[in-house]
Amino acid sequence: MKRLILALAASVAFAGMSVAQTYPTKPITMIVPFAAGGPTDIVARLVSENMSKTLGQQIVVENVAGAGGTTGITRASQAKPDGYTIMMGHMGTHGAAPALYANLKYDPVKDFEPVGMAAGTPILIVTKKAFPANDMKEFVAYLKANADKVNQAHAGVGAVSHMTCILLNSQIGVKPTAVPYGGTGPALNDLVSGQVDYMCDQIVNLVSQVKAGSIKALAIASAERSPALPDVPTTKEAGLPEYQVAAWNAVFAPKGTPKDVVAKLTSALNTALDDAGTRKRLEDLGGVLPTKDERGGEWLGKFVASEVARWNPVLKASK
Amino acid sequence: MSEQTSPDDRKPSFGIRSGQDFGAGLFLIALGIFAFWQAQTLGRGTLNAMGAGMLPQSLAVMVAVGGLGLVITSLLVDGPRLERWSLRGAFFIFGGIVLFALTIRPLGLVVSGPLAMFFGSMASDEFRWKESAIFAVILTTICILLFKVLLRLPIPVVGSLLEPILPF
Amino acid sequence: MEAFLGNLSLGFGTALTLNNIFFCFIGCMVGTLVGVLPGVGPIATIAMLLPITFGLDPTGALIMLAGIYYGAQYGGSTTAILVNLPGEATSVVTVLDGHQMAKQGRAGVALGIAAIGSFFAGTVATLLIAALGQPLTKLAQLFGPAEYFSLMIMGLVFAVVLARGSILKAICMILAGLLLSTVGTDLETGQERLTLGLQDLSDGIDFAVLAMGIFGFAEIVRNLENPETRDVVQRAVGKLLPGKEDFKQAYRPILRGTFVGAILGILPGNGAVLGPFASYTMEKKLAKDPSRFGRGAIEGVAGPEAANNAGAQTAFIPLLTLGIPPNAVMALMVGAMTIHGIIPGPQVMTKNPDLFWGMIASMWLGNLMLLVINLPLIGLWIRLLKVPYRMMFPAIMIFCCIGIYSVNNSTSDVLFTAFFGLVGYTLLKFGFEPAPMLLGFVLGKLMEEKLRQALILSRGSFMTFVERPVSGVLLAIAVLMLIIALLPSIRKGRDEVFVE
Repeated sequence: MKRLILALAASVAFAGMSVAQTYPTKPITMIVPFAAGGPTDIVARLVSENMSKTLGQQIVVENVAGAGGTTGITRASQAKPDGYTIMMGHMGTHGAAPALYANLKYDPVKDFEPVGMAAGTPILIVTKKAFPANDMKEFVAYLKANADKVNQAHAGVGAVSHMTCILLNSQIGVKPTAVPYGGTGPALNDLVSGQVDYMCDQIVNLVSQVKAGSIKALAIASAERSPALPDVPTTKEAGLPEYQVAAWNAVFAPKGTPKDVVAKLTSALNTALDDAGTRKRLEDLGGVLPTKDERGGEWLGKFVASEVARWNPVLKASK
Repeated sequence: MSEQTSPDDRKPSFGIRSGQDFGAGLFLIALGIFAFWQAQTLGRGTLNAMGAGMLPQSLAVMVAVGGLGLVITSLLVDGPRLERWSLRGAFFIFGGIVLFALTIRPLGLVVSGPLAMFFGSMASDEFRWKESAIFAVILTTICILLFKVLLRLPIPVVGSLLEPILPF
Repeated sequence: MEAFLGNLSLGFGTALTLNNIFFCFIGCMVGTLVGVLPGVGPIATIAMLLPITFGLDPTGALIMLAGIYYGAQYGGSTTAILVNLPGEATSVVTVLDGHQMAKQGRAGVALGIAAIGSFFAGTVATLLIAALGQPLTKLAQLFGPAEYFSLMIMGLVFAVVLARGSILKAICMILAGLLLSTVGTDLETGQERLTLGLQDLSDGIDFAVLAMGIFGFAEIVRNLENPETRDVVQRAVGKLLPGKEDFKQAYRPILRGTFVGAILGILPGNGAVLGPFASYTMEKKLAKDPSRFGRGAIEGVAGPEAANNAGAQTAFIPLLTLGIPPNAVMALMVGAMTIHGIIPGPQVMTKNPDLFWGMIASMWLGNLMLLVINLPLIGLWIRLLKVPYRMMFPAIMIFCCIGIYSVNNSTSDVLFTAFFGLVGYTLLKFGFEPAPMLLGFVLGKLMEEKLRQALILSRGSFMTFVERPVSGVLLAIAVLMLIIALLPSIRKGRDEVFVE
């Protein structure tokens, strides 16, 4: 009985310093709101492997996929805020979700303690091999002239390829026919075989097809060219400078997690991002790591607010 | 299947010549109507741009029509009667699964495993409580070793409610 | 030919190192284990094992993960035959005659022929990948949305043939399966459909949840009410391995199944799932006495099992040569490759030839290992059948619960399984067969997706399905098969129209 009271007292007083000094004393669960093997899952597994070493406790990745990632994040946001449940949030779950899901059970800005940005993957604009346009300028002109003929593929509502192409189309000012697919794989397959004309997606999903010449890459939506595809110009160089978008992944804890626990997680995350091996693996995937200024919870908090503000009007207008 | 029922144990009632088909038809009609009612608010769209409701609604109608077909057959063609339902089996088996679902997270596999198995065991008319209890505990131990230790699945062994009480 | 032999020897050179043999063995063992355990599929397992492979070299890691995948296919048929639980869409067919054979005391024969058929199919498929992998990908490129839709229609016709009782009931079940497959978020509009307002249904119904419910749990309840049927399994254990007579009956189905499965497996849209169904349909139509099917026909196990394994192997073709994963497990393999710094795609073959050919060679090695692992295990499995049913069913129940829970770490999935168990039991009482419903469910999602894509691309013209040659041919075959399937019952006269 004594032990029970002590344990209960300890778990109630989780805000106390003593907890943070000993944290973590048991394995931490990191909820990844997507299926294993996807880009977010890979980032989570690479980062958490190194964080586990720093924290001295295993971080167990738990994939809770569903509803564009909002199922997992909803569950994680309702977990006990003791630092033993954290999550890998994503551009969709913490940026676009409020615009896409009317009955979303969390607020990306208010319901979380941001831990820090992990990695982003820039978006690539690609067309089928036989597409008449060979650069961004021709592409925009062709799209404007043939808007009723062109078919754009995406991997379903809420997918990165769906949202980022809506942004692209709205910036160009066209509404081509959108063909939905059940995932990046089948969409890419039909792009390679020429059934559809173009799509936008994370570079990691497209790089090998571009290198093999089975599809054409027009531009990359990041500030700098990617070492993975050095010949592909940035959108700035290609003449569409306002199209800057990356699928970002960041670590969050549920609201109410003690400040010093969050700080410990942030510093472990930063250690992982400084680790040469982890860096190399993330960069090999075409990932872009946060600069020193873009690290930590404070920056992430502001960034999330700006992302929500950015996606809301674009996605609502497309409905 | 029709050869299993001999003609004399089939009592023609209200012109129904196959209770099984009649029930099956009604079941499908109910399913179709329910699905159609649930999907009615969804847009049907056009062939060029099919709405979300097009297929669910058409399929619901087809299921109901199929059900109607079965009802009609049941009035025209002799077929098997409805079998007896085993309420005991259904109650304990499905109840046991529900118990597992409700207790796995708060209490963990150590409690919900034996609980669900013991409850489920009562579905059999050969139920022996001592044997079932011992077997439930042994098998749960095996499950923990298999799923948690060997396969490393993130299944809660000790639930969130028990965690603060136990020393590990 | 010389290049082919060169490639194979490079492959075996890689696969036959002590390390890689070890990884292949571990993969096959783990795969068999998770395949046998109901619910725990290769997806959950590969996901869990991914971090462990971080420290390994990429070839070894991938060989191990691939081993888990096809090991699980072997293991899955064991569960299907012994306890009537199809863990994956592809073993639904194995259940039909496999479990009947087990009930007749021929579990050993069923398991044996499944293992041997699978090994043969695996060998042929491996050779096929090695020899023709590159050109075969061209075949996949012929398939656009319209062609896939027509292929799926063909698949639905298989489901009609599959049925052993009333054809009208089978068609109703297919429609109900299609209806169930529309549950979830609409791909195009993002609207929730038929979810009853439950967030847990927004991604649709999980296959394992539905299959465990309407096959596994419904069967348990049914067995509990008929003590005679369940005891048969325990009393008669019978032969351990298939005999000469069995082989004589099974070798042709195995050959045909291998061929059909291998072809369908190449299609990137998860065509492999159709393989076993196609093979079953073919065997039932070719058989002298089709009424044996569904009552323990060995051809109904041998053919589909061969098709299943051939498809499982050739499904690697789109992954290895195009970098495009045809199903969820393959998507996970892509993830595994990327984590190891290999981006799957057309260049893997030229850039990492040792990895590419090593994996292919290890597949054959894995199949051999699986045969060696599985044949002796049959004796053990059969002994398991002697456990009294009152202890067996709670064990099945708890394994299913844990398995289902671990697929998505979701308690609502477990609750849904109970619900579908109840539905399945109701369906059994009404004389419905669950298999056509499952096929409808499996094909439904893809079918709707492809139908809508094709119509979007053709701007609303249904002619696209007929005008495109490949699609037109597939539709013609489907219609022809439907007529062949319906003819015997139509001939029997009006009174028996709906009772085969």
